[in-house]
Amino acid sequence: MDLFAQLFVNGLVNGSHYALLGVGFGLIFATTRILHFAYGPIFTAAAYAAWFAANVLGLPIAAAMLFAAAIAAVLGVITYQYLYLPFERGQGSSHVTLIASLGLFIVLENLIAIIFGTGGRVIDGYQYSIFLIGPIYFSSVQLGQVIAMVVLTALLGVYLARTRHGKAILATTDNPEMARIIGIDTVKVSRLVFAIGSALSAIPATLILLKDGASPSMGFFAVFIAFVAVIVGGVGSLRGAVAGGLALGMVESLGLWKIPTEWQSSIAFIVLFLVVLLRPQGLFGRAVN
Amino acid sequence: MLKRIGAALTAAFFITTSAALAAEKPKDPDIIHIGALFAMTGKTSFYGTVMSQGMKQAIDEINAKGGVDGIKLEADIEDHKGGVAKAGVDGFTRLRNLYNVQAVMTSFSPPTLAIAPIADEQKIFLINGGGVSNNLVGASKYLFHNRSLASDLGHAAVSHAHDLGLKKMAELAWNSDAGDNIVKVVDEYWKKNGGTVVASEKMDVGAANIDTQVAKIRAGNPDFVGLWLFSPDPGVAAKRIRDFGLKVPLIGVEYTADVQKLGGAALEGYEFTSDYFQPSADEPWSAAFAKGYKERYHSDPDFYAANYYEGVYVIAEAMKRARAEGGDWYHGDKIAAALRANPTFKSVYGGSMVFQANGVAKKRVALFKVQNGNKVFEKYIEAK
Amino acid sequence: MEYILHILVMVCIYGILAVSFNLLIGFAGLFAMAQAAFYAFGAYATAILTLKLGLPFPADLLVGVAITAFIGALVAIPAIRISGTYLVVVTLALQVIVIAIATNWKSLTGGTDGLRGIPSLHIFGYALDNPGRFLPAAIVALGICFWIAWRLANSPFGRALRAMRENESAAEAVGKNLLYMKVAVFAFSAGLAAVAGSLFARYLNYVGAESFGIDETIYMLAMVILGGTGNLWGSLVGAAVLVILPELLKFVTLPTEIADKSHLIIYGLLLIVILRLRPEGLLAERSTMRHLPHVDDTSRHSAEMTEPLRKGEVTLSGNDLHKRFGGIVAVAGFNIVLKSGSITGLIGPNGAGKTTAFNLLTGFLSLDSGNITFRGRNITGLKSHDIVRAGVARSFQDLRLFTKMTALENVMVALPNQAGDRVFDVFFRPMKIHREEQDNLVRARAVLDFVGLTHKAYETAENLSYAEEKLLVIGRLLATGAEVFLFDEPLSGLDRTTLAEIFPIVRKLADSGKTICIIEHNLDVIKELCDVVYFLDEGHAMAIGTPDQLMSDPALATRYFK
Repeated sequence: MDLFAQLFVNGLVNGSHYALLGVGFGLIFATTRILHFAYGPIFTAAAYAAWFAANVLGLPIAAAMLFAAAIAAVLGVITYQYLYLPFERGQGSSHVTLIASLGLFIVLENLIAIIFGTGGRVIDGYQYSIFLIGPIYFSSVQLGQVIAMVVLTALLGVYLARTRHGKAILATTDNPEMARIIGIDTVKVSRLVFAIGSALSAIPATLILLKDGASPSMGFFAVFIAFVAVIVGGVGSLRGAVAGGLALGMVESLGLWKIPTEWQSSIAFIVLFLVVLLRPQGLFGRAVN
Repeated sequence: MLKRIGAALTAAFFITTSAALAAEKPKDPDIIHIGALFAMTGKTSFYGTVMSQGMKQAIDEINAKGGVDGIKLEADIEDHKGGVAKAGVDGFTRLRNLYNVQAVMTSFSPPTLAIAPIADEQKIFLINGGGVSNNLVGASKYLFHNRSLASDLGHAAVSHAHDLGLKKMAELAWNSDAGDNIVKVVDEYWKKNGGTVVASEKMDVGAANIDTQVAKIRAGNPDFVGLWLFSPDPGVAAKRIRDFGLKVPLIGVEYTADVQKLGGAALEGYEFTSDYFQPSADEPWSAAFAKGYKERYHSDPDFYAANYYEGVYVIAEAMKRARAEGGDWYHGDKIAAALRANPTFKSVYGGSMVFQANGVAKKRVALFKVQNGNKVFEKYIEAK
Repeated sequence: MEYILHILVMVCIYGILAVSFNLLIGFAGLFAMAQAAFYAFGAYATAILTLKLGLPFPADLLVGVAITAFIGALVAIPAIRISGTYLVVVTLALQVIVIAIATNWKSLTGGTDGLRGIPSLHIFGYALDNPGRFLPAAIVALGICFWIAWRLANSPFGRALRAMRENESAAEAVGKNLLYMKVAVFAFSAGLAAVAGSLFARYLNYVGAESFGIDETIYMLAMVILGGTGNLWGSLVGAAVLVILPELLKFVTLPTEIADKSHLIIYGLLLIVILRLRPEGLLAERSTMRHLPHVDDTSRHSAEMTEPLRKGEVTLSGNDLHKRFGGIVAVAGFNIVLKSGSITGLIGPNGAGKTTAFNLLTGFLSLDSGNITFRGRNITGLKSHDIVRAGVARSFQDLRLFTKMTALENVMVALPNQAGDRVFDVFFRPMKIHREEQDNLVRARAVLDFVGLTHKAYETAENLSYAEEKLLVIGRLLATGAEVFLFDEPLSGLDRTTLAEIFPIVRKLADSGKTICIIEHNLDVIKELCDVVYFLDEGHAMAIGTPDQLMSDPALATRYFK
């Protein structure tokens, strides 16, 4: 039972991490319909930016996180403005944009490896604290992962529902044609979601840096799991991305309670397979054709 | 036309007879190209970096001293993208065709296994100083290893645990050939010697999340945890294990700068068996290598860099010996034959190493312990 | 030079993979991301069958292809229910699971060590054990695979696939069996990928799980998209470019530490630049050009089409139809009787259940209760494509033309009973298909003549004017050869002159004995065309009568006409 409780907490923690990744990726995907594969290396770049800020510039962790968010936002907007937007204007199909995104993925990942080297990076001297509640262990970084997910998702939810920009994003997500008709500049909205979505990815990136360190190839798993979380939860739904991420984390953790751990990489996919078969619209999505 | 054929025939006759008459006169290439297949890109490109650095340092040193009997060496490194068989074959074919390499340094199981049949057919000398899966042993008759077998290191690690009187083992192994090899040997040994395996968990190479594995290990309440992992995962795993409040000894088979960097304080007291590479004043060659490496790359060499550095010296020495036989010596099979004729080579670890019949060099293996962020030598370990 | 020969062998293997993948993505529009898993099945089948059972060539290849094709067919079953992004994820899941099995089922697959020592191919005792010797075999294999894919893509079946890609429900509405098509195309695509896998195993004499990961699927996807979706030659070019380009980049000399990473950076940038320059891919999709037959040849068929059916017979009737969506009642106790030779109008306010009634009558939605008969035969519960084949066809309010196909193809794909829709016939009765295609051209020409679009035959549907699109919708429906036509607002949004052109066409259809039912809002159209009008509200017929009768009913007037 102790093991189950610990696995449950692990699932919650990792699920929160996946959920936050999913929220950022999902916001971009739902609004722009771009499968932003390069979300992965931007996530990596954010982790390295945080490392740079904390280790080289000597900023405190919170400031490093903000610095990383700013860098990620800038990279995201540049990517949209100079890669995706020309493709959209050039009438390229979404497939073509996907492959262009893949091209950028390759470029960024290798660029990061050249600039920062291939070894791992950690913030020197950083030590997180460990808590023990009953039989359950967790660290301050893990706590941070859960809190970050809850707070940021809530903030984003409020922002989308209450502010003028947020409503414009929702309108564009709902129906870009209609949004244009009622006078929303959808390009501006897209730029905005790329900024927000990318900045969001910087938070889990920094937390992973604190937890495990950064490596140039950490982005692939991040974008992969974000994509899956969004699909499991349902495209276009904030709640869905959160639920999808948490579900993945839980399944991955609790699923291995009795199953040998060599199946770790596929267990979430077996569940995913079933979810999509039984509920093709995702857990929280609307049925779309 | 006929005249020309006649001339060619006469020339051929002279060449063969002269070679037969004067076996002393070796047929030399202009440059000796030494090929390499490393993980230069991808998830594990860390390995490619250190391996290529060690290799290049050795080549520069040898060239500075005049190369192989005056013939210069050149490194030609190809990328197998972190162990992709096809990429390995692409690179190998390229090396063969563009540079007519006769000796190739290789790493990782899948590309090595995929090039082994080609190396056999084309008689190319191969040397591997990276991870050694049992499956690689004997994959090609020209394949040699200057790295201890993963399973031997694992065996040494558990026998140490046995000496410490530990009973309940939990293990975390790479879900890979190397991890599997160790688990197989270790479990067998451990059970035979009266111990129990309370948890046997697997993790993917560079897995993003091992919380479940660690939780299950903790639930097994072990006396120690065997980390059958390679760089940089022992560091990541040690850190996570300590995070989960598990304070039992950690015993593993690998330690590098990257492991230390990612593991940090969690590695205090970590014991591991490894190829004995410990630059010190007593071992002038290893000290010189470490000093040169630090000057070139601004970091301390780990044993992967050392193995590939050493590998180049093995190739150069074997070539020298093959050349001494004279004639058309510049062929992989001749180089391999020279190695087998006298399988003892100087090791950068200190002392010498002997290549056994199966191609694996018997090197010094030692037990180390991490103290204050540095590895400290404890004792040599007798190979099985 | 061996190196070049080796690269060419790789081009052949990836050529097969890209071509097979293009069948799924480019032709069928099925975004399945498990191609490398199919590739893996072929490779492991050869490895395991030769090493463990000692099967000789070509038994290992054939068994591998059969197994993989079967697995591909199984994947098609979820694909019938889900599409788009969800299909991506299901297949991605399959991809990950297959590789996990290949890694973990060590006794069978050798785990990450893989399987080595796979025997080289021997042809007439001649070992194909180096790139130069292997290349001819690889080229032959590529040739055969390409021919199979080509034959499939350019057959009536391939045309139907493209129609399905453009719009699934419209393909169903012209009588195509989507399940059959998806199963067949998945089986072929997977089977061809397995051929590449078997070649790979024979060539490298080694198979390991790392060769078939998700990155391989993405690599193949890049080949297909770079080369141009829907163009098989494009896939060959895409494969060649993406195999050769990285090799060429290796000749760019750079310092060791950054060389290979820099090559990848250049590679990524070039990928982006090429796509910017050619957003359709290197070779864009082309329609297969067929020449329309002369008018003289069509006379026989025109006659056949206008051959009068008996008028006034009951053809389609729906009795006490009910349908609820959750708590909302869409259709409740709806009765309708349609007769040959007459035009029936369906009017009523928005949400009255008109389109739902069409969906129920044509099997696009299942009934909660009630039954439907066609010429006395109970067709309740039949699949929609079977209902079309039985003789009841419908159009869609939002047209759903096959936009990237020509007007001619839009019509040809809808022709009934095409042997070429069956994969077996495509390969084993080529002459029959050939003759039938000649015949189909004649029939299609007749249809295009009838709706007056002959001069636009080679125009893609997306390039037609709105009125022409509407005409093509009618033509496509006509081509199904059905007896009952259910038109969902076929005339909305058209100006008076265009209407005046279309009225006689619809009239002529009715005069030839066809049964016609039209959903329409424009009362002028109703008045002009319809013999009988049903006024629908709240899911059932509130009134039935001639247009004049209904329009003079004051109760209905307040409900709707005001």
